Amino acid sequence: MSTSVTEAPARSDVRRGRLRLDGVRKVLGGKEVVSSVDLETEPGEFLTLLGPSGCGKTTTLNMVAGHLTADGGVIEVDGRDITAVPPHRRSMGMVFQSYALFPHMTVAENVAFGLRMRKVPAADRRRQVAEMLELVGLDGMADRHPGRLSGGQQQRAALARALVVQPDLLLLDEPFSNLDAQLRVRLREEVAALQRRIGTTTILVTHDQEEALAVSDRIAVMADGVIHQLDRPREIYLRPGTDFVARFIGEVNAIEGTAAGPVADGYACTVAGETVAATPAGDPPAAGEAVRLYVRPEVVRISTDGAQGLRGTVRETRFLGSRIRCVVATPAGEVTAALPFDARVPAVGEEVTCAWRPSDASLAAR
Amino acid sequence: MAAVGRVAGGSLNRSGRRTGLLLALPAILIFALLFVAPLCTLVANSFRTQTGAFTLDNYQRFLGDPFYRDVLWNTLKVAALTTIGCLVVGYPFALYLRGRSPRVRNWLALLLLSPLLISMVIRAYGWLVVLGPQGPVAAVIEWFGLTPPQLLYNDTAVLIGMVHVMLAYMVLPLMGSLDRIDRTLVPAARGLGASGWTCFWRITLPLSAPGMLAGAMIVFSLTASSFVTPAILGGPKVKLMPYFVYTQATVTLDWPYAAAIGFVLVVVTTGLLLAYSRLLRRGGGEVVFG
Ligand SMILES: Nc1ncnc2c1ncn2[C@@H]1O[C@H](COP(=O)(O)OP(=O)(O)OP(=O)(O)O)[C@@H](O)[C@H]1O
Ligand SMILES: [Mg+2]
Repeated sequence: MSTSVTEAPARSDVRRGRLRLDGVRKVLGGKEVVSSVDLETEPGEFLTLLGPSGCGKTTTLNMVAGHLTADGGVIEVDGRDITAVPPHRRSMGMVFQSYALFPHMTVAENVAFGLRMRKVPAADRRRQVAEMLELVGLDGMADRHPGRLSGGQQQRAALARALVVQPDLLLLDEPFSNLDAQLRVRLREEVAALQRRIGTTTILVTHDQEEALAVSDRIAVMADGVIHQLDRPREIYLRPGTDFVARFIGEVNAIEGTAAGPVADGYACTVAGETVAATPAGDPPAAGEAVRLYVRPEVVRISTDGAQGLRGTVRETRFLGSRIRCVVATPAGEVTAALPFDARVPAVGEEVTCAWRPSDASLAAR
Repeated sequence: MAAVGRVAGGSLNRSGRRTGLLLALPAILIFALLFVAPLCTLVANSFRTQTGAFTLDNYQRFLGDPFYRDVLWNTLKVAALTTIGCLVVGYPFALYLRGRSPRVRNWLALLLLSPLLISMVIRAYGWLVVLGPQGPVAAVIEWFGLTPPQLLYNDTAVLIGMVHVMLAYMVLPLMGSLDRIDRTLVPAARGLGASGWTCFWRITLPLSAPGMLAGAMIVFSLTASSFVTPAILGGPKVKLMPYFVYTQATVTLDWPYAAAIGFVLVVVTTGLLLAYSRLLRRGGGEVVFG
């Protein structure tokens, strides 16, 4: 796996919650569902595990929470090895996909549960529960049972229950997937804002790329039990390191070429006789090596002034509201560009050049 | 046992309610014909003399006699102990089944139901052999160099036999209740700092209360009115209400008195179940009875 690691944005005010996974493995039902996962968070970071269904995200999260025991590797929090520590002795606040609220307890009792387990005196407990409920916008719902809450309110209650114990880490397993589209967007913004405010290191599990891009400091893209790439959202999107990452997150132009050599602002390669450039996702390839370029439609610029780039003929243009989609047939295959709404729209059949900034595209060995 | 169920949320519209009533009609008719009608006859009979005149004598006779009060008390005691026995044996079993694969569950459920597939008489005679002076239990106790106690013809024998028969009635509702518990609740509680035991006491046990309640009601009422197993395993020394109903009706031929004894049992059992259910409901249980 070519993994380019960018430094996570450090939060100077948070000192707690540095999670480290080192070669963590898990075998379930005779199949290795998580194989050698390495991961390290900064204190206060919002990190997302993104991947398709069944890739081992929940399994990884459950090993961090202690509900599953790793079959290999080490899990550390703030330098403390917790690999063999049972879940009730770890300090993890987890929100389950089903919320897992206790149906026989009121919202306040649910939130107070963790404090009760920590033997917090009743008066402190009441105050902390009330503060937390206000923080998540559930004041006035304290005496309701979870069955009488809407999906969004249940989600907030689960979040309050996880956060009130001031855990080392907040673990969120697809917390928004049971909500309708509008609420999903609103709640994820709220959770991201709350996380930034209180600074608890957070691991979010999701299969929704947009969600991951919107809320995370960094994203770990996972497939078949391995992390393919761990990077900031912008890098993950613009500079995918593997074919899987490129195709899993949105639309991409995958262009095949031959490595030429480093240039000032990237790495040049030859594609169908033309020279284009991109940024190597991992170690730079050797000259002459077969490579593949990943270029997002949004970064492709189309010009008619004979600038350097991939030359081709406009095959189709389509107005899509927020963008104009333009397909250009080049000797290296079709290249799709998503032009801003006020761009000049080339005519079908026109000879154009497709170009991009080398820092906005990636290249990896084939 | 007819009214054990979960509270339904919301109300049906009128036509829906009428359809529901229509669909329930056969069951209601059978219930009225086979249960309510005989019960009415029973009650009516219990207020008559042998010649048919109205009297309160049968009840006075029953309630005024310390012997019969003792029999009633003993009956309730055996029923309660059987219920507790089924709970103590059945709960761990139901918990164990919850974690097994469907295949294992099916086999063990069959094992659980197997006593119900054999005639009560044959099953009771089986226990006579097992618990008898020449039986395996006595042999094992002797092997340890001890004198085996009297295992047959006492409350203990009845209790063992009844728990064996009734276990399925406890475990099946319990399994249903346990299965309805979201499997992420215990991990959630663990993550919040609860030990395995705390999870059991605070999560699993309270949430399985509906199953325990239903099972306990079935076992208690079936045991209080059971006749064959106590008669064979308890013999004449263990005095239970159904036995006296039987002797009054078939040996003494005092039908009104038999009816009165029977009705006292029905009233006391129902009253106890109602009180028990009320108690649990106040404790947060979801089940309604009556
Ligand atoms: N108890 C188990 N026994 C055997 N296989 C399991 C078990 N639990 C999970 N798996 C398998 O492990 C793989 C990873 O499961 P996991 O729940 O971690 O996926 P996920 O990435 O969270 O997917 P989703 O997005 O669907 O929740 C899946 O292929 C799943 O079928
Ligand atoms: Mg999952």
